[in-house]
Amino acid sequence: MNVVVGIPLYVMSAAALLAIVSGAFTLPGDLRRLPEWIGLLGVGITLITLIAMWDRPQSGFAGEIRLTHMSMLMSGIILVATLATIALSWGEPAGAGRRGEYIGLILAAATGMMLTVVAGDLIVMFIGIELLSVSLYILCAIEVTRERSLESGLKYLITGAIGTAILIYGFALLYGMTGSTSLNVIGERLAEAGPLTSQPLLVSAMALVAVALGFKASAVPFHMWTPDVYEGAPTPITTFMSTGTKTAAMGAFLLVFTGAAQGAIADWRVLIGAISAASMVVGNIGALRQTSVKRMLAWSSVAQAGYLLMGVAVGTAFGAEALIYYLIAYLAMTLAAFAIVILREREVEDGDQLDAFTGYGRRRPWAGVVMTLAMLSLAGFPPLAGFIGKFMLFSAAIDSDMLWLAIVGALASAVSVVYYLRVSIVMWSPAPVRDVPERTLRVPRPVAAVAVTGGVAIIALAIWAQPVIDLCRDAGASLLP
Amino acid sequence: MPWVSLLVIVPLVAAIVLAMIPQRDRMLARTVALAGTGLTVAVSIVVLVLFDRGSGALQQIDHVDWITSLGISWDLGVDGISIWLVLLTTVLFTLGMIAACQHLPERGNMFLSLLLLSEVGLLGLFTSGDLVLFYVFWEFMLIPFAFLIWTWGGDNRRRAGLTFVVYTMVGSLIMLVAIISTALIARDHLGYATFLIRDIQGVPFSGTASTLLFAGFVLAFAIKLPLWPFHGWLPLAYGEAPIVVTALMAALMSKAGVYGLLRIGVPLFPDGANTLLIPIAILALIGIVYGSLLAWRARTMRLLVGYSSLAHLGFIVLGIMVFDQMAAQGAVLQMINHGVVVAAAFAIVMMLGRGTGTEDMDRLGGLAKGAPRLAVAFLIVTMAALALPGSNAFVGEFFILAGVFRQFAWMAVIAMAGVIYAAVYMLRMYQSTMNGPAKGVADEGRKTELRRGDAIVLVPLILIMFLIALWPRVFVDASAKATDQAIAPAQVVAGRPLIQIAPSAAATRELP
Repeated sequence: MNVVVGIPLYVMSAAALLAIVSGAFTLPGDLRRLPEWIGLLGVGITLITLIAMWDRPQSGFAGEIRLTHMSMLMSGIILVATLATIALSWGEPAGAGRRGEYIGLILAAATGMMLTVVAGDLIVMFIGIELLSVSLYILCAIEVTRERSLESGLKYLITGAIGTAILIYGFALLYGMTGSTSLNVIGERLAEAGPLTSQPLLVSAMALVAVALGFKASAVPFHMWTPDVYEGAPTPITTFMSTGTKTAAMGAFLLVFTGAAQGAIADWRVLIGAISAASMVVGNIGALRQTSVKRMLAWSSVAQAGYLLMGVAVGTAFGAEALIYYLIAYLAMTLAAFAIVILREREVEDGDQLDAFTGYGRRRPWAGVVMTLAMLSLAGFPPLAGFIGKFMLFSAAIDSDMLWLAIVGALASAVSVVYYLRVSIVMWSPAPVRDVPERTLRVPRPVAAVAVTGGVAIIALAIWAQPVIDLCRDAGASLLP
Repeated sequence: MPWVSLLVIVPLVAAIVLAMIPQRDRMLARTVALAGTGLTVAVSIVVLVLFDRGSGALQQIDHVDWITSLGISWDLGVDGISIWLVLLTTVLFTLGMIAACQHLPERGNMFLSLLLLSEVGLLGLFTSGDLVLFYVFWEFMLIPFAFLIWTWGGDNRRRAGLTFVVYTMVGSLIMLVAIISTALIARDHLGYATFLIRDIQGVPFSGTASTLLFAGFVLAFAIKLPLWPFHGWLPLAYGEAPIVVTALMAALMSKAGVYGLLRIGVPLFPDGANTLLIPIAILALIGIVYGSLLAWRARTMRLLVGYSSLAHLGFIVLGIMVFDQMAAQGAVLQMINHGVVVAAAFAIVMMLGRGTGTEDMDRLGGLAKGAPRLAVAFLIVTMAALALPGSNAFVGEFFILAGVFRQFAWMAVIAMAGVIYAAVYMLRMYQSTMNGPAKGVADEGRKTELRRGDAIVLVPLILIMFLIALWPRVFVDASAKATDQAIAPAQVVAGRPLIQIAPSAAATRELP
């Protein structure tokens, strides 16, 4: 039995437990930030382990855990998102009295996300998705004194539970059809079994799984929870959901559809394509009229799920490559955007409202530049990371004879420019900053660091795109036999 | 030295430096802006000196691989068409910068920085040899223009900016899909992924593919031009933008569309271009007539010039789309002419508007009395704009009309209407503001008189007009080869007889 394959997961779980335990003690002033440091250390060690293991893809536990290039790269994305979330939570009022739980749950959720993408088996994947969901239900509601936060947690719990039920139903059907829960075996059965494909049972299995994963990825029509939950949750947790959860959900999509169900591609291609197209259209139109930047980013996250799903719909290695590159780019731009929102929230009441940003770029030019870059990149303006990602996704779609999907994506992007640009224009508009900061908390350096790193990455990922694309290419290739 | 790349890098660096200058230091901002544009002019002159007139292909190429796995590269160079557009851009931006510096709005450093960024976009676009790079600069140009309208525009600036952005984005994103499709089809034919225009040029596209791809590209070009009926953003954007920005948009941004048509649309997809020849020509003809009528009825001088631009661009598109050597060369020359004339016209509108506080023609009159020097300059520009024989625009329009006439006589007849209308609306603008009884404050004329600062902007433009009017051959000869090559495939498809006598030589001999 290959136990080495589990090292990243062991480290993360241990860090999660340690952080939670550390919360049980009243820590003296010097050790006040112990949970955070445990978190940073745990994530750091896991990242280093993954980098060390990059050249030796392997699987263990009877193939239930697979460290392929794809799962390692996606775990890396999740870990960076976790790292950033901990940094963004520095001095965050949410969960102030319970830092141990807060950080511990973030680490637990990250472990769940990693488990989802390294899964070689439906059961493992399910456990991963549950672990991340349950941790996030609590995290959304962690500000127990704030009504919106509780509402957010409850809404996420209810819709999430439905998603889980559907997912397990879909997995059960898949198991019934193929006689195995192993993704490899399912893949082989579907590949060799011509008669299995196009059967109503298999089509419904695929549909159920797509629906359930769509819940997690906030894809249309299972996106309804997104704006409320994103708005109510503490902003660092919102950031974590829109980056980490999305990565995990996309990983699951790739493993189940592009990977295992490759043989039945004809059964699900149009389905995923339709979800993708609908998400792009609905998400971008929904974002148009939002007055809260957080809500707008929630709708934008729906639209972005649509772009990402293009990479699944095509069902090719190039599609996966494009998707993973876009996930990396999306991570950079989302972190940058949310970091600025968090910054503003610390300064004024209702800091997530669009008018709180009026003229903000003139007061903190660097924040204005970062936010502008993030918005332009999300809108897909060249020469930024978001553009390269969209370019690859469109290429993948056109290359696989899904021109219609690329055209829908192009038109939806044209709509999205309106609301993304509005934010950046408001930032630089000449009207004075709304008022004197009400809650003059000092700008925590970690938050500023995340913002600036994100901003730099948006440019760097485009200019030095080739090395990153090479990594994504390895990852995409490892998905298909 | 990678001179062509420097064309893009110099203004980019200047723009970044400008953005970092503290707002209070307006003098330093002016110096950096003028130094940046001035240096760019110098670089463009170096490129012109190194330019080889004997070749029609892209030359002085700077090639660096960017994303090799996708076949995208940084590939800049100039050919006979782009060399003049580059020079026009650098010169007009310098003059625009001088005008902007004289009346710097609030937060002037950002204003100038954004102007420089739009110059980066335009210069990059005119020199791109790679389709993706072309797209990158195409979009790069949009952001600064949108910010300029949105931040420094008139009362209706938000709607203007929004309309402008949405219109152009729809076009450009469809173009992006077309670019990717083109490269994927080319990859199957060539065996490797590339976006280099010169590599794709030889690829035979099937009839349907060629038509669809051409249409995908032309939509973006038509919106940028704008071609009727895609001009919905024009009155808002031209009307609301700060006038320096309006002038640069009309003079240069519109050329981006024409350039795309001539450099990418027609040469890469001759079949598709030939299929869509008549529809596009009809749109151009409608644009000529409709734009002229709108200009005739326009209330403000700014809109009059803006709509006249719609008509003039119709001429240029027609000149390209009939696939006639003479017409195409006329179109290229007219691109330069229109850029210079429309910039000069907007400069005059700016001076009148600043002196009198209004751009409304009904409220102006008899200004010539107090401002004789301005009146002279205005008259010269008016004559050039209505293409009076002997003016620079006459040469271009004559080439276009003659070329169109020998392919499709009926088109030339309709297009002639535009020439007549041009006289009507341009003279109306001149007469109603300069002649007749004085309106408004008695001494208004003197306030509008040309000052030294205005002269620095206007006199170079008038000198360029004379230069082109007197030696059009200099311009036409340098671009003739590139133009001929651009339309040659389409001429073959359309079955046009290739006329051997260089029309430039034949025609210019009879002209002054």
